[in-house]
Amino acid sequence: MMLENVPILSLLILIPLIGSILVFALGNTRKAAASIALVFSAIPLALSIFLLLDFHIGAIGYQFIEKYTWIESYGIAYHLGVDGISVPMVFLTALLCFLAILFSWDVEHRTKEYMGLMLVLEVGVLGVFTALDYFLFYVFWEVVLIPMYFLIAIWGGPRRAYASIKFFIYTHVASLAMLITIMALYFEAKPILGYATFSIVDIASVSGNFNYLFQVGAFAALFFAFGVKMPVVPFHTWLPDAHVEAPTAGSVLLAGLLLKMGSYGIIRIALPTLPDGANALMPLMLAIAILSILYGSLVCLAQRDLKKMVAFSSISHMGIVLLGISTGSQLGIAAAVLQMFAHGLITAVLFMMCGVVQHKVGTREIPLLGGLAPKMPLAATFMTIGFLASLGLPGMIGFVAEFSVFIATFDAYAWILMLPIASVAITAGYYLWALQRTMFGPLTEKIDTSHAHDVNWYEAVPLAILAILIVFFGMFPGVVMDYITPSANIISAILGVG
Amino acid sequence: MVDLSPVYSEIIILLFAVGLPAVYYLTKSEKALSIVSLVGIIAAMIPLLIFYIDGSQPVVFAGGLLRLDAFAVAFKLVFLAVALYVTIASIRYVKGERHLAEYYSLILLATLGMMVVASSLDLITLFVGLELASLSSYALVGFRKADKRGIEAATKYLIIGALSSAISLYGISLIYGITGSTVFADIGTAIATASGMDPIILLAIGLLIAGFGFKVAIVPFHMWAPDVYEGAPTTITSLLASSSKKMGFVALFKIFLIGLIAIKADWDVVVAVIAVLTMTIGNLVAISQTNIKRMLAYSSIAQAGYILIVLPIGTEYALAGGIFHIITHAFMKGGAFIIVAALSTVALGESLADYKGLGKRSPFLAFSMGVLLLSLAGIPPLSGFASKFWLFSSAVDAAIAPEQSWVLWLAVFGVINSAISLYYYVRVIKYMYVESGPEEPIRVPNSMILAIAITVVATIVIGLFPSPILELCREAARAFFSGM
Repeated sequence: MMLENVPILSLLILIPLIGSILVFALGNTRKAAASIALVFSAIPLALSIFLLLDFHIGAIGYQFIEKYTWIESYGIAYHLGVDGISVPMVFLTALLCFLAILFSWDVEHRTKEYMGLMLVLEVGVLGVFTALDYFLFYVFWEVVLIPMYFLIAIWGGPRRAYASIKFFIYTHVASLAMLITIMALYFEAKPILGYATFSIVDIASVSGNFNYLFQVGAFAALFFAFGVKMPVVPFHTWLPDAHVEAPTAGSVLLAGLLLKMGSYGIIRIALPTLPDGANALMPLMLAIAILSILYGSLVCLAQRDLKKMVAFSSISHMGIVLLGISTGSQLGIAAAVLQMFAHGLITAVLFMMCGVVQHKVGTREIPLLGGLAPKMPLAATFMTIGFLASLGLPGMIGFVAEFSVFIATFDAYAWILMLPIASVAITAGYYLWALQRTMFGPLTEKIDTSHAHDVNWYEAVPLAILAILIVFFGMFPGVVMDYITPSANIISAILGVG
Repeated sequence: MVDLSPVYSEIIILLFAVGLPAVYYLTKSEKALSIVSLVGIIAAMIPLLIFYIDGSQPVVFAGGLLRLDAFAVAFKLVFLAVALYVTIASIRYVKGERHLAEYYSLILLATLGMMVVASSLDLITLFVGLELASLSSYALVGFRKADKRGIEAATKYLIIGALSSAISLYGISLIYGITGSTVFADIGTAIATASGMDPIILLAIGLLIAGFGFKVAIVPFHMWAPDVYEGAPTTITSLLASSSKKMGFVALFKIFLIGLIAIKADWDVVVAVIAVLTMTIGNLVAISQTNIKRMLAYSSIAQAGYILIVLPIGTEYALAGGIFHIITHAFMKGGAFIIVAALSTVALGESLADYKGLGKRSPFLAFSMGVLLLSLAGIPPLSGFASKFWLFSSAVDAAIAPEQSWVLWLAVFGVINSAISLYYYVRVIKYMYVESGPEEPIRVPNSMILAIAITVVATIVIGLFPSPILELCREAARAFFSGM
């Protein structure tokens, strides 16, 4: 199937946008809004699968490029394209958005706005993963914030007002650090290139020659900007608040996609654009990665709220992404991207399960729960799959990803691996303990389980799809790695790491 | 016969301003007044658009007192556009008031004054235009004679305005005394060729900063603005914030970037500090406001701080960014005030708490307010992002030169302030969409919806397709530096 002449990336972005307009215009009943949203998120999913199939694996450079002049005098273009690192992210985005919308089938409070905003969010995230122009990238990056702010602020938990503003301002400050760096890159590259451009690719082609101190400074600023989004310790404090208060689907997209924007930014922009800066700050990244991994998993042990536990575990798992990046090696970067993909799938299951528990039983407090498995066997199954995948059980994608990161880390830093790998035991600890206390054991009398029934169809279907993919990609990680590896090799070559 | 073509727009505005009372005398119709006003404003835009689209060469006329070039055209179009939507919004806002002919006429006269400032080539012409605009605004602020707040605001505005005029005039006279000229270009040459630094010139600079600082409400000369903005009829607040203040910037640009550019090193740090203080204090104080007009007033002070960074940077690029931000701000801030005005026609209060649940009561107004506020905060893809982007990037650009590297801090403070400002802008959005309030729907007059729609559409379209406006700004900046 050849799609060379079809602007498939634009269509990917445009269709959810049209969908959101239609939802706002026509979605006056709950069912209409949800149906339109579902259809207009299913089409991008189909397109993203075409994209996967039509992508020339191993070809150098970007594919499906679209470039139109936008603001000519400043060299700003509507410039899209994907490589082996973006393609899995595009697929993940389309998949999670579709599943999150399906999972939200029963949202009754202001359904129209809810569905419309979900689609706007999809537009932003897809834009981030496909933009090849700094200006465009930044526009999409910020567009993501607005629907997420509303999703938390309107449909969130009791402390939603605080959490939403904290999320918005915290991540916006980080974005602004990126904005200043983008400006600096633009002006620094202009005299060398001889023309003004915001093209990520063009600037990267000359930025290796930038002054060393400039590179270090600019890399540090970008690392801060993207690190907040990931998030890494100590810039993580917005995340538990945002996650705990966000509605389930919001948490799914926040953890599944928005955090990936941070690590994607580091891999797509910071590393290849500022290789000297990256190499200079590798030790810092390594330290922060280890800190995030250990801190995130240790804090999980102390959590009473199931969702907060999952939120902190995200910090730990995104730390593993950063660990892979901090090696700068081919395997390390490829494994980091795989871990992003894996975390996107797994964390979606986890947050959906938190939502299911909250919904059916009315609380997520681990000490209050217990013995739910006989009442809701299917839910218990999905939760077990999710937890096992997240703690890195072999045969599931989380294992392959983490394992690859650890190999790369050992390769690069040898025995330092002792530190981050300790988290595997801690992670197994908190997940198994939480699973035992919520689903198994005797039924506690602290909660009212009289209305607790098993997952509904619109919850079971997304969970099942995710579970299947987690196992499938766990068995055949090569399917994803084939896309990632050639592009990761290029970045690692730019860094000068073998 | 003198060729009057360069001043066609001014002549049109003047004729309509003078003719309005006669129109009212003949028709006794309020509607006729506003329609005639609108016709005048649109007619005045046409010669300017023709001049710009034709790519005409700058024209100096009136014996070297005025000049029509891209810079003047850009500002005149902004002033006329503001007058246009303020007039549309006024149709219902001032319905049934007395002296309506004078009301519309004063808006036109204020605009005329601003247009003269935009063209001025020397300090005296500039001052005359400035005073025409100021005097018209004093009267407009106190237009509602029964409104105590309005009268208080007008009195305050008049006294502060007169004081600031006197201070500027003193500064102007010192400049004349030192350089022997009131023409910007001659002042620039005289100062550039003067051997050694005259301490009097520092006094003159201080007086000019203070005098015009009052006009544009920069810290520490900003105290009057929130009171006046709050007390004035809200359509007039819109006019003050969107165009009257921008006229002050034209004056600052001309004085500092042409007249005093040669001794930039003597004033740039001071102005940079004032800019940072202005944006920071404006934003911090805005956070604690509970009245939306006061909050927008303080945000306006902060925005003046952003624009002020053009002076210490002093490049053509920076000026283009400054003009761009002035244009987008004219729509964003003006539109926000018009929304406040529209809501007051249905007796909705000006307290932030009154905006609770607005998203349900009037989806259009809440959406428009949301767009304008997010744009003010600089969230893409809205116009406020694009203009702030160019404004702040000019500081990064200038900082590439080692001797100018300190101006990078202006961009840093700018973006930090943008982040602070997000807090209070988003809080309004939170009130409108997240909190629940009264449920009954709100219907506002169609004319106001039209005025608001103009500003919102401009905000979105300029954000998505900034090229034409940006081109105009670059032309304007080039013309500004080339001809003088």
